[in-house]
Amino acid sequence: MPKAVRQLAGHLLRGLVMVWIVTTFTFVLVHEMPGNPVQAQYESLIEKGFSPDAASRQVAVTYGFVPHGSLWSQYGHYLSRLLHFDLGKSVSAQGVSVAKEVASAAKWTIGLVLAGVVLSFALGVVLGVVAAMRRNSRLGDGLSIAGSLLHGVPQYVMALVLVTLLTVKWPLFSTGDVNGLIQPGFNVAYIASIISHAVLPATAFALSSFGGYLLTMKSSVVSVLGDDFILAAELRGLSPGLVFRYISRNAILPLFTVLALSFGFMFGGAVFIESAFNYPGMGALLVSSIGQRDYSEMSGAFLLITVAVILANIVADLLYTVVDPRVRRASGT
Amino acid sequence: MSTTLDLPTIGNRADAVVTPRRRGFWHNLWRVLRRKPTRMAGAFVVVVFVVIGIIGPWLYPANLPTDSNLILSGPSLAHPLGTDFQGADVLALLVTGTRYVLVAAALAALLTVVLGAAIGLYAGYRRGLADSSLMRITDFVLTIPGFPLLLVLSTVWKFGSALQMGLVLGITGWGGLARSVRSQTLSLRERGFVEAARGLGLSTPHVIRRELLPNIAPYVAMNLLIGVTTFIYSQVGLFYLGVLPFKAENWGVMIFLAVNNGVTQTGSGLFYLLAPLLSILLLTLAVVLLVDAMDEVFNPRLRED
Repeated sequence: MPKAVRQLAGHLLRGLVMVWIVTTFTFVLVHEMPGNPVQAQYESLIEKGFSPDAASRQVAVTYGFVPHGSLWSQYGHYLSRLLHFDLGKSVSAQGVSVAKEVASAAKWTIGLVLAGVVLSFALGVVLGVVAAMRRNSRLGDGLSIAGSLLHGVPQYVMALVLVTLLTVKWPLFSTGDVNGLIQPGFNVAYIASIISHAVLPATAFALSSFGGYLLTMKSSVVSVLGDDFILAAELRGLSPGLVFRYISRNAILPLFTVLALSFGFMFGGAVFIESAFNYPGMGALLVSSIGQRDYSEMSGAFLLITVAVILANIVADLLYTVVDPRVRRASGT
Repeated sequence: MSTTLDLPTIGNRADAVVTPRRRGFWHNLWRVLRRKPTRMAGAFVVVVFVVIGIIGPWLYPANLPTDSNLILSGPSLAHPLGTDFQGADVLALLVTGTRYVLVAAALAALLTVVLGAAIGLYAGYRRGLADSSLMRITDFVLTIPGFPLLLVLSTVWKFGSALQMGLVLGITGWGGLARSVRSQTLSLRERGFVEAARGLGLSTPHVIRRELLPNIAPYVAMNLLIGVTTFIYSQVGLFYLGVLPFKAENWGVMIFLAVNNGVTQTGSGLFYLLAPLLSILLLTLAVVLLVDAMDEVFNPRLRED
């Protein structure tokens, strides 16, 4: 037990260092931006008749640091704001804190990503095993080609085709604002509205990403099939079910890293689906903030996406040691 | 004493006698391609796209002629794929955009595979300090999620040329491959033949090249080809989201302008939207068929003869 705790603590510490590196990166990026947005806001406030003091306070509220003073003092100021979970204020939506905007967008993306990843993982693993077992038949060939093709179909292609067909030509689903006129809360109308908005994005996501799992699973099963211990198990006359358990336990290993990583990746990767379906998630927020040159919002969204990936990495590492005894043994020595 | 000196030479001589003459990679590829007509079709389509990519931009003038009477028109004799919202020929836009797309994707895929395989193999085999420091770097590359990073970078970098695009895509994209190559290596190094090689005292470069790489090669080769399609997808996506300037000749610019001129809503000028989308699909299908062939070239377990 203490070993697992120590391992987790190490992962968390490394995660914190990552977050620090990424915040430094966004700080430098915003600071060195051509046209220097921080300085620009400061100067426009001065022109509006603000006193230098009031103007720099206003700028500090937006970006988390003041445009003058040494680079180190600006950086220190910025970090101390972040430690209080203060991401600054949005420029495009005046007066709204970035933390609030990012949190409300994250809620939507988490739902979409969970539904999509679970759907595509289940589909990919099952079909991948089938494709490997029947790899010399037409079914196996068809499955792997369909999988690779769908894996290759970019999410925006899938999303654009679904949008054009199902919301414009035959309006089965809606893509507008979820909250619309319905009272938010735990009631049937609201939940139904959420589902009708989320079904299509989740489907587009699952369709465009299960192919990756299918291919990984197939090639992994094929390589395990050639191993001696499988032959030995068959020769010992073990039941096919047991042999299958031997195969699957070994074959699914590469998939776990892919799975956990894709959770994190999807936070940013859902950009296309979200913007095609007008879905109010993190990716859409990131794109719109870049379009509006709203750099404080951009850094906030980017930071949260990064944190999601870090957490997914930690989970992947822990899962990997649980699933593969060989890695557990090796990391113990 | 003499045994330790003789062992390697005996081993080599025995090798030379037992191993049949190895046929070359291209010979194997050709043999595997011919086995299924779908694979030939895939190879053919890839070659056609590459030729278009090479000569395409020379076929048309730098500024395409526009016809303001024919806006978002359907296919006709003069314009086989219709026209865009300014009345320019869609086929011409498609052909001139091919070079950027292919050059950037190929460069990025190559960079990814070389960096990813080298780092993954070395880290997974050596373990220890080399492993943990290389994986720290890999974690960092993976931690900064690729596509959002590209979006953020687009505020300062305009990706004007295909080489710049390919370089950035490749440098930010190798983390995933390094990680999965490492985890496969971790599993491989516990196998008997690798332990035997280590026991013989063979050098790390030798073990990595002769024992580990052949086992990882199918996976890496598939990643090279699939990488080309994913990098086509991400660069076209960057242009599609509209965060980059529209000056560049790229299929993504076409998709962005088509969506923003209401093609998905009104349905007029559907070919303007569909042409780049279908090109991506066609190229992807072709690459997938080639991957199928590659798989068989590299992986003896899949061979049917």
